[in-house]
Amino acid sequence: MIHPFAWLTWLIAVTIALSATRNPLYLILIGQALAIVNAVSTAQSRQPLTFWKPNTLVVMLVVTSALFNALLVRYGNTVLVRLPAWLPLLGGPITLEALVYGALNGLALAYIFIAFSIVQRMLPISTLIGIIPRAFYPLAIVTAIAITFVPTTLRQAQHIREAQAIRGHQLRRLRDWLPILMPLLIGGLERAFQLAESLASRGFASQPTQSTQQHRSTQLTISVALTGLLSGWMLRLIWAYDTLGSILMFSSAILLFGKLWMLGKHAPHTRYRQFTWNNADTAVVLCASVTIAVLLLPWPAIERATLGYYPYPLVSQPSFDLGIGFAIVGLIWPAVTQYIKS
Amino acid sequence: MIQRFLSATIYTLSSVLGIFAFLAPFFGIMLQNDNAQASAPWLMSAIVGLCFISLLVEVQGTGINAKHVALLGVLVAINSILRFAEVAFPGPGGFTPIFLLIILSGYVFGAQIGFLMGALTLFVSALITGGVGPWLPYQMISAAWVGLSAPLIKPLAHLLGGANSRGELLAIMLFGAVWGFAYGAIMNLWFWPYATGASTHYWQPGVGPIETLQRYAAFYLLTSFVWDSFNAAGNVVLLACFGAPVLRALRRFRKRLDFTYQPSGSTV
Repeated sequence: MIHPFAWLTWLIAVTIALSATRNPLYLILIGQALAIVNAVSTAQSRQPLTFWKPNTLVVMLVVTSALFNALLVRYGNTVLVRLPAWLPLLGGPITLEALVYGALNGLALAYIFIAFSIVQRMLPISTLIGIIPRAFYPLAIVTAIAITFVPTTLRQAQHIREAQAIRGHQLRRLRDWLPILMPLLIGGLERAFQLAESLASRGFASQPTQSTQQHRSTQLTISVALTGLLSGWMLRLIWAYDTLGSILMFSSAILLFGKLWMLGKHAPHTRYRQFTWNNADTAVVLCASVTIAVLLLPWPAIERATLGYYPYPLVSQPSFDLGIGFAIVGLIWPAVTQYIKS
Repeated sequence: MIQRFLSATIYTLSSVLGIFAFLAPFFGIMLQNDNAQASAPWLMSAIVGLCFISLLVEVQGTGINAKHVALLGVLVAINSILRFAEVAFPGPGGFTPIFLLIILSGYVFGAQIGFLMGALTLFVSALITGGVGPWLPYQMISAAWVGLSAPLIKPLAHLLGGANSRGELLAIMLFGAVWGFAYGAIMNLWFWPYATGASTHYWQPGVGPIETLQRYAAFYLLTSFVWDSFNAAGNVVLLACFGAPVLRALRRFRKRLDFTYQPSGSTV
């Protein structure tokens, strides 16, 4: 199994790639990479990818986005059809360029959704909870409780529904849900108090996670970080002190993350499943990092201008840079790793 | 005293930064610097994220105990099931039942529980419905603001008749209607500056605040108003149907939540 942080790095790379380009050739290449990773991961996971099949999702989003853009945008030289002018907001020419631009946006959105779905499917919920930073330990506990209670609450809802049906209760109007919602809520709250007693009896929160002094220090650090962030942003936006503003904002962010790290060090932490980092994870991270670096940084041999594609005013043939193409192909590495491991 | 002052400072600074970040596209004329204009959408995301982290640290640091954890866990589970039902059987337009419990929990248990209820409902329901995506942090912070601001209804509710009166329910319904539209308007802002196109409905660097506002208004009216109307109407209808009994139940449990046992002989 690929390490969760390797998956997250891959996800960041895919998201950056999809945000950086609207060139249809690169988008198709990203789509193919996602399809390969999806195909290999399908063999390893029994969960469905999303409520819809990936192809259905792509078609649905591309068609919706293309139609929406075509109906709202009047630019473009290639007029396909003219809607009657008396139609409010919609009347006017429908252009090929608007259709293409809308379709490309829809394609990028569908791929983002599929990439997140792949990662969510490959990482169990317990692992996703484990990724929550240790500084947010109480919130991770709440999340774990909520996820554990979801099936119990569903069963409870079913029991209440059946009990009410035996009494002759029928769901005709919205108000008829009240005899189901209220016992569900009150029963849930009663269980919450039983759970709280169990937690307290096992020593949970018997002592505050931070002393008053520590809490005050945390508050002070956050206040300073937020003030720095605000000041830095104002310096950049209003007075155009780019460097000074950026340094101030970056330092504030470091201060905030440093405090989070310090807070996390005090949080109790138990791991039932240890993920080991191996060479395959390093390869996934390296490939994703190369993709990010090629797409975001200026390189002498790379034509970054090819990333942008603007179909207005006349649809044209998109250009292609081999270096960017290779960088995008690196996104299939999770599939290669999983294939080798299996 | 100092803790309260620092807490108020964090809430104020986070809110100012968060609101300013979301409204950044409207301040075009203030942005004299081209570089700052171009990077504004990216910065907006980073700043909203940092504000959210700051608020989470502050909220969880102020005396969250076993009862709060258990209460939140169970309420979030119930609300996540409502969202699951909404995803499986979509209602009309932007109708969603999740705001019923977020608003009422925030109103009864306070801003801290309301904030966490909003943020965690969206997080947990995204995990169980497969809705994790780049939009999730924005959904979390917007829903958290709904819960955080719920106690603000109290003065109006008091004016209209106080606890358990029709006036109180009316004030909460009004609040639900306003957030039905506001939630959609805020959620649009996370992608609107990125969705640049050859249209008069999209954001472009260098456009003045009035024109930006006009463009956003056109975009909102065309794409979101009808959708959000269902959300606002849904909130009003759900609060009208279930608001009063849910409020009574939550108030009863609040008394038990506030109860603390002090052994005799222990010093305070």
